[in-house]
Amino acid sequence: MKQNILLQLHPLTKFYFSLFILVIVLIIPGYSFAFAIFPVLVLIAVFAGVSKEFLSIVLKALLSVLIIVFIMQMFFYPGDHVLWNWGIFSIKQEGVDYGLLLTSRILAIGSSFILFFRMTEVRDFVKSLEDKGLPPMGAYVVLSTLQIIPEMKRQANTIMEAQKTRGVETEGSLLIRAKAFIPTLTPLILSSIAGTEERAITLESRAFSAPVKKTSLHQLTKSNVDRVLPIVYVLIIVGLLVWRFFL
Amino acid sequence: MKRSFKDDFNMMAMLLIPIAVAVNLVGFQLANVLRLPIFLDTIGTILVGVIAGPWVALLAGLITNLINAIFNPVYLPYALTSMAIGVGAGYLSKYGFFKKIPKTIVAGVIITFIAVIISAPITVLVFGGATGNTSSLITATFLASGQQLWTAVFSSSFITEVADKVASVLIVYFIVKGMSDRYLSKMNYGHLYMKRNNKK
Repeated sequence: MKQNILLQLHPLTKFYFSLFILVIVLIIPGYSFAFAIFPVLVLIAVFAGVSKEFLSIVLKALLSVLIIVFIMQMFFYPGDHVLWNWGIFSIKQEGVDYGLLLTSRILAIGSSFILFFRMTEVRDFVKSLEDKGLPPMGAYVVLSTLQIIPEMKRQANTIMEAQKTRGVETEGSLLIRAKAFIPTLTPLILSSIAGTEERAITLESRAFSAPVKKTSLHQLTKSNVDRVLPIVYVLIIVGLLVWRFFL
Repeated sequence: MKRSFKDDFNMMAMLLIPIAVAVNLVGFQLANVLRLPIFLDTIGTILVGVIAGPWVALLAGLITNLINAIFNPVYLPYALTSMAIGVGAGYLSKYGFFKKIPKTIVAGVIITFIAVIISAPITVLVFGGATGNTSSLITATFLASGQQLWTAVFSSSFITEVADKVASVLIVYFIVKGMSDRYLSKMNYGHLYMKRNNKK
């Protein structure tokens, strides 16, 4: 497998980058800068080799939100400079400006977080947080949640099929469909809860809650770049703050 | 019974969190499959609040939204709402709100208020009033009829939330009823719902 420099970065370096984008987008006024961030993120995604997933998730998750937010502001933001008028609806210059500002920020911040999760394995991110002081129990909870979700989704389908065979209707009027909800969810929850006791015993038999330092099979390394980059972020942010408020 | 903050986080309670998060997501998915007009995406959080207490539920709410945010960052700011719902459900359970159906419905309404009070400012300040779900349409209708932005967002989210939260707490009520005493006895607030206790 080819090693990618961007993907090799320490998870926290990448996470700080997303926070860095969040802060600079909020510091710098106007929408043109925030919109300009997006092509930069796309470029990073291309270099990291995750552009396809990145763009498809941005489209799926953010596009509809952006359009609706923009339309709402365009029509309903208070202002005097009317650009277009039809009945009770009117588009105002202030609304268009505010809509662009909001959408540019949502786009920049939202896509920077999407990019982060495309470039970082959740496992690595949780491990880096554990190194920073997150209790091992917290790390376990997050990771086992990620594992359990697809499992329980499958199980929910199985239960629903089973309930269908014994006559629970899942189609028809709203009331009939609503009635199918409880016979599906209750067995799912009760059976998953029964499994927690076994897991508790398994964890305890390996001294999970013993108050000692744990060794981990999974180790993360920090390169020089990972030490320098966070300092660069902070310097840029301080510089921007000085420029914005003192000059 | 007096208990400290740390007592809430025992092993059984922590192992309940992944299930609660998955229940939140599965509930949402089921509501979609059955084409129900409500989300039902906080059942797990409320359930944890009821049997394991407010602080565990806070964590469950937070993790739910963090995991949703991996695929849709719009959920991220609403983590605050989920956390507040969890804490609210926990405290309501502590004061015995989930023991009988009428009080459970009251609890559902209180949780609705909590959810609306926390989520409406997020909707207005972060997204300018609409995020593209069903309540956005109602918000737009209110705005078009001349209401102020804040009132429009508050009232539209209350309308969509109240049915959702009352249905969720009732589902939680029936699930807790179905739990065995053996399991409930291991949860922090479980003793409130054990059948043997209630017969006394």
